[in-house]
Amino acid sequence: MAGAEGFVESDNAEAIITRIEHKTRKIESLLKQFKPVEALKTALEGTYAMTSDERCKSAHWIVVHRAIMAIKDVDGMLSSLDPEYYDILMKYLYRGLATGDRPTCDQCLRIHEKLTERAGHGCILRFLTDTVNTV
Amino acid sequence: MGSTLRLYLTCIRNTLDAAMCLQNFPCQEVERHNKPEVELKTSPELLLNPVLICRNEAEKCLIETSINSLRISLKVKQADELENILTKKFLRFLSMRAEAFQVLRRKPVQGYDISFLITNYHCEEMQKQKLIDFIVQFMEDIDKEISELKMSVNTRGRLVATEFLKQFI
Repeated sequence: MAGAEGFVESDNAEAIITRIEHKTRKIESLLKQFKPVEALKTALEGTYAMTSDERCKSAHWIVVHRAIMAIKDVDGMLSSLDPEYYDILMKYLYRGLATGDRPTCDQCLRIHEKLTERAGHGCILRFLTDTVNTV
Repeated sequence: MGSTLRLYLTCIRNTLDAAMCLQNFPCQEVERHNKPEVELKTSPELLLNPVLICRNEAEKCLIETSINSLRISLKVKQADELENILTKKFLRFLSMRAEAFQVLRRKPVQGYDISFLITNYHCEEMQKQKLIDFIVQFMEDIDKEISELKMSVNTRGRLVATEFLKQFI
């Protein structure tokens, strides 16, 4: 039973990784057109096809990281981002803060402050309590 | 530089604001016992996701929450060997007197310089906002203290050396 589930998982993982590669290409093209907000939206969509597979999570993180680092105008970005993406963005921000890499942490701290102002402490608490869908 | 410090402290303050929701919870395993669950980590359903907030490669803050307790571990910036020694000595001095601080932990968590343990009892006796203010103020003051100590060590060393070498003039 566990074996069959494992097989389905890896199947799923390959499909997800292919999807992520498509996303990466789309995001690169959006960034070339100076549309960082659309790039971030594309990166955050579909991350809820959650697997516990570490490779998928790392791949997702790399894509979102690329989009986050390209953001220059944080206020503008947050005003045009749908509220449904706030929670998932918060999760990725905390993942960025955990890396310890100076430019990533700077950017994530900047966005975190503005995002908390908009979304409130509930957003942070939802990240803390969600032990199932981790990024 | 100053602005990253402000952002770092704001992030920690917001996270603590959200994470400090503690209530009394008697131990599930042993009757009549009441233990800080974040220290024991026996039941995963009582623990929240731990949060690691890094300002850069050298400074970070780990916040672990559970239903009745919260643990904050700090790693302070240490630029050179002298600051390393001063930080260790100073924070050891504080940790030895942990009873006076009430929320301080006697030993820092592995990999960090100092740790705080806040339980639901602390939140009942003291105001949550004041506790958070204390932690953030502590983080600001630590940097100033270490710089002051370093400057006084260098000044003293220079004075002593000058005096000593005068006899050879």
